[in-house]
Parts: sequence; C-alpha cells; structure tokens
Amino acid sequence: MIFLQQIGTSLLSFLVSVVISVGGAFAADSLSWQQIEAQAHGKTVDWYMWGGSPAVNTYVNEYLRTELRERYGIILRQVPVQDIAEVVSKLAVEKQAAKVEGGSVDLMWINGENFRTCKKLDLLSGPLTNILPNSRNLDSDSLALLSDFGTPVENMEVPWGNSQLVMIYDSARTPAPPRTISSLLTWIQNNPGRFTYPAPPDFTGSAFVRQIFYHEAGSVKQWQGNYSKEDLKNAADKTFATLVRLKEALWREGRTYPESPVRMDTLFADKQVDFSFSYQQGSASQNIDDGIFQPTVRTYVFEEGTVSNTHYVAIPFNAKDKYAAMVVANFLLSFEAQLEKAKKDVWGDFPVISLVKADPAWKNQFSSLPKGPATLSDEELQAHQLPEPPAEVLIYLEKGWQKQVLKNR
Amino acid sequence: MFTAPASRPPVSPKETTLPQKSIILLLTPALLVVVTLFGGGLVIGFFQALGYQPGIEEQSLSLQHFITTLTDPDFTTSLGLTLYIALTSTLISAIASILLAVAINHWAANNKIIHFILQIPLAAPHLVIGISMILLIAPSGFIARLCSFLFAVDVQNTFPILVNDKWSVGILLVYIWKEIPFITFMLLTVLKNMGNELLEAGASLGATKLQRFFSITFPIIRLSLGASCCIVFAFTFGAFEIPYLLGQTYPQTLPVWAYMNFSDIDLKARPEGVALGIIIAVIVISTVLLSEYLTRTPNRNR
Repeated sequence: MIFLQQIGTSLLSFLVSVVISVGGAFAADSLSWQQIEAQAHGKTVDWYMWGGSPAVNTYVNEYLRTELRERYGIILRQVPVQDIAEVVSKLAVEKQAAKVEGGSVDLMWINGENFRTCKKLDLLSGPLTNILPNSRNLDSDSLALLSDFGTPVENMEVPWGNSQLVMIYDSARTPAPPRTISSLLTWIQNNPGRFTYPAPPDFTGSAFVRQIFYHEAGSVKQWQGNYSKEDLKNAADKTFATLVRLKEALWREGRTYPESPVRMDTLFADKQVDFSFSYQQGSASQNIDDGIFQPTVRTYVFEEGTVSNTHYVAIPFNAKDKYAAMVVANFLLSFEAQLEKAKKDVWGDFPVISLVKADPAWKNQFSSLPKGPATLSDEELQAHQLPEPPAEVLIYLEKGWQKQVLKNR
Repeated sequence: MFTAPASRPPVSPKETTLPQKSIILLLTPALLVVVTLFGGGLVIGFFQALGYQPGIEEQSLSLQHFITTLTDPDFTTSLGLTLYIALTSTLISAIASILLAVAINHWAANNKIIHFILQIPLAAPHLVIGISMILLIAPSGFIARLCSFLFAVDVQNTFPILVNDKWSVGILLVYIWKEIPFITFMLLTVLKNMGNELLEAGASLGATKLQRFFSITFPIIRLSLGASCCIVFAFTFGAFEIPYLLGQTYPQTLPVWAYMNFSDIDLKARPEGVALGIIIAVIVISTVLLSEYLTRTPNRNR
C-alpha cells in the first residue's frame, strides 16, 4: 500500500545505534503444522496495523476475527496505529533492552522502508513464509515478491496484498491508447498539452518517473541487485533528459504540474488531459461508480509491465504468541481470506496469491467477482508486474527530477 | 487640523496596580500554554535546524543548514514570491476593508443581513475556499463553463489561467476574499464606538469629506487597521495550504518549500526544512515587532 512506504522513514534515525544481537529464529521446524495450530488455540493475537481505513478495519474486525475464532479458536485483536514506524522503533528499543520474549506485538502490517529497518536491526522472527502451508498459493518466481523496495524479502515477511500502477484513459476519447512507454512518449509529443503527471515527490508522480527510468535504463532487474553509482547516474540522466524534452508537450507546457493524483484525475475528468494513472488498480472503477469518470473510462498496463509493490505482515522477534500469529498469517494467504479481501464492497485489495497457479474453481470465483468496468483482471495485472527499485534509487530520482526537470539546472 | 481625542481616560496609579496584577494572574494559564508549546517548539526546532537529530550519526551542531538554505539560489525567489503574495493580499484587503467599513458604518451600521454575509468567509476554512476557488476559476471551472454555455463558444483554451499561475492570482483571490471581512469587522468595532459626533463637528466646521476621512476617521481606525494588517500579513506569509494547492509547482513560497523539505523521504533534508521554518518565524515576528513600533510611537509622543 502506498501509505506504508510514505509513512515513517523517520524512525531509522532512532535505530542506527542499536547493536544487533541474536535473531529470533523459530523453533518451529521441530513442530508439525498441526502441532502449531494446536499450540495456537485459545491464544490472543495482537495485530498492530495502520488503522486509517474503515474498509480494512471492517475486514479485519469482522471477517477475519470471526473466521479465526471459529476455525482456530484464536482471538484476533486489532491494535490500530497512526504509523507502523512507531511500532518498529518500539521494537528496536525492546531489542536494545534485550526483551526477547513476551512482547506486546504479535503481528504487524508492514513494507518498504519499515521492513528494511526491521531486517537490518533483526527485529523479525523468521524465515517465516516458507513454514506456512498456504505459501504454496504464492508464485515463488514472481519478481514482485522477491524484494520489497529493493530489500530481499527472504521469507522474513508474508505477502498479504498488492497494488500496481495502471494507466487510465477514456475509450471514447482515445480508442487506441499507447501500450508501451516509447509509444506513449511519441503520443505525448504528437498531442501537446494533453498529458501531465503529478510532481514528485508525490508518490504517484514519482512512480511514473520510475517507469520512464526503467524504460531508459533498459533493465529492471539490474536495480534489484548490485548496480554502480555510474549506472544509476547514467540511467537517471537519460530519464531526466527525456522528461525535459517532454516538458513543452505537457499540460501547460510543463510550467506547472498537478500536486496530487486526485488533481490529475480532476484534469482528466474535465477533459483537460487525456490520461491519468493510479497506484490503485481499482480506483478508476471507483471513480466511475462515484460519477467522477465517464462510464467509458478504462485502464491498461504497459506491455513491458508497470511498477507494483506488495504489502506484508511480519512477526516481531519477541512476539508473545508466535504460533498463533503464524496461524493468522497463514490464514491471510488462504483463497477464502484473499477472495473476501478482493471483494469491491469489502476492501477491494488485490490478491497476492497466484491465480495462474490456482485451481480452476477458485480461479472462477476470483474472476467472477464484480470488479467494475475499468479494472483489469488479476491475471492481466499479475502478468505485468515490475518490482520497485530500492529507496536509494527512488530518492535519487526525486531529487534529480526537482533539480533537472523542474528547475532546469 | 482635527485630531482624535486621547482614548484613555486619566487613571490614578493606585487604581491600575491591582487590576494589572490580576490581569497577569488571569493571563498565566494561557501564557503558560503558549510559552511551553510554542516557545518549546521553537527551541526544539532551532536545535533540529542546527543539525540535532537523535539517533543519526555525525552529531555536530552548526549553522550549516541555515547557510545552505540562505545561499540556495531559490531562497531569494521564494522570499520574493512569499513577500509579493503576503504584501499584495494585505494591501488590497486593507484598502477594500477601509472602504467597506466606512460604507457600512455610514449606510448600514445595523443591517443584520450584511453582517451575516460578512461572517460567512470568517467561518470557512482556507482549505475549503482554496478548493472552491479551483472549481470556480480554473480553465475547466464553473465560470469557464458558464461562459461556454452563455456564449456558445469553447472558452477552455482561451480562458485566462488563474490557478497555479505565474502571478498567483488564485492565491491572492482566496486571501483577499477571506481577509476583507476580518479587517472590516476589526474596523467596524472602532468606527461604531467613534460615533458620529466628531464627523458632524468636522462637517459643521467646513471640512470636506476627504478631510474628515483623513483627519478624523483614519487616525481613529489606524491602530486597529495596523494590528489587523499585521495579523493578515503574518498569516499569509506563513500559511502553507493555499500556495500548495493554488501555486505553481516552482517557484514555491517559503512555507511550501519548508514543508517539502520537512516531509522529504530523505531524512537529511529535514533540518533544512526546520531551518526554513525558523527563518519564516523570524521574518514574521520581526515584522510584527516593527509594525508595533511604527504604529505605537507617534501616539506616545503626543
């Protein structure tokens, strides 16, 4: 989820001085899954998570709570927080104070920078995902699940859901939208004033710049592993040069940019520009339902793929009820729980499990979910996912954009 | 020349000491809150601007962040833009408010409807007005559509750009619309207390309308005008949301720039954001002190 990366980069500062001791590895390998489930019975799982979305809260407190009680006798307790970074810094302090068990956090909702901090300071129990029986529902080859904003996941956090950049257009206005980045760039030059993007550091605008960056760099995988400073500089300079050339052909000749995706959506709805894009696959359909977009609005992903990121759950090193937390994490990966979460009127979050691998009965259930006219199928989306680059690349691009593209220095 | 009478009645020292003590006592709770929260915030902010960030290595306090900020080529542009917005909106609001207050005082001193209409902008938050302004005057906004409808021509491409524009017209409009009622109310209170006797006396002595305004009305409203302009200037200089919504992406006003630095994903930009915040606070506080000095001095010399 977008907010998970945006929030709480601040806590890193509190943690650097913490010295790492022993990791919280599981003694679980000695127990069978049945034994783990038996251990979990009657336990309470305190799940710390960002509590700002009513849809998410309802899914957790109604559906998950009931199912977990009935299936496993687990009492799920949601602990809403403003920013999961607070919890991470609390864990870091507990680690420093050598509080290795009886911690108050059993499970947390996490990704990006916060995960990187946790992994760096060894605040998590694991490897975890590979122990969970339902991990077989995941596509283990998916690049998008291998690393979380450039940090190798290595089974230390369990995938829960997914979001991905999609292009938004009106099929009545633009019957044949450009399906690759290079054809989009040509389209913009040929249709001056009809395209714009939110100014980075806005998250969505920044994602668009990364999309151009992947195109100019000619490689995606390179940024997940070892790349040199020169590689980054060269690819970034090419990206900025392209974006500077593009400026004249943008809305208002690139003299100003929308400050948010919401504003870009408004410009698109007002026919000031012909495209919008969103880091939430379902938002265009939502806007059609709300009467903001025309019913002819559709979305698409580039043939070369679009950036996506996964949000995860993880178990802290000192969780009080580790086994129960594992059972919860496992249930989150089940077809039932993922299907309920994907329902538009429940949450509408995209399944993280692989539907290509799923058995046909489940596949049917997912594909027959009412998605809204503009939302792509899960298979189509999953087949076009690119991982996000590390935060370092992201920051480099945002800074460079401001300097070279916005200020023209 | 007519001059306004000294507004303070002579009071004996004995009478003033007791109330002054109780005034201080009554003010203490409010002052405590302001000093602890606001003053404390400023002090912590100042240390952060010097480079104090708990947990981050290389802890050395220096003025480096202030220097970086002040020598940034964007600083003068930003300062200029911020001053332009704050001064223009204060000046236009002040002139309009004087005219409006005098007019209301003259013709409609007790008109409840006019007072009610004036109160509406006071109650509406700046953010709401900002967004309404976009809906109203953007090239695809209500006014442009109305023109298209009335004149049956597509004005979307010819309509003047009034939001996110070079001259900050949208920002100025929001501030002016919002601040006129504020200043007007401040002036009306004084004008009402003034009564008509002085003006009538002036008229009977043969002063023209303009003479009456500059020699009677203006000296009386001057203090209140100065104070309210000061508040408006301080607010428009330090406010973030309207320039963020209605301004150009670049150049930015000082508060927008400070916010961008403060919320930057790169933690190293944060002290610069705080340093900018402190600079804004210093500019605003010195303006207030300066105008206090300028408006009070002539009174004391009298």
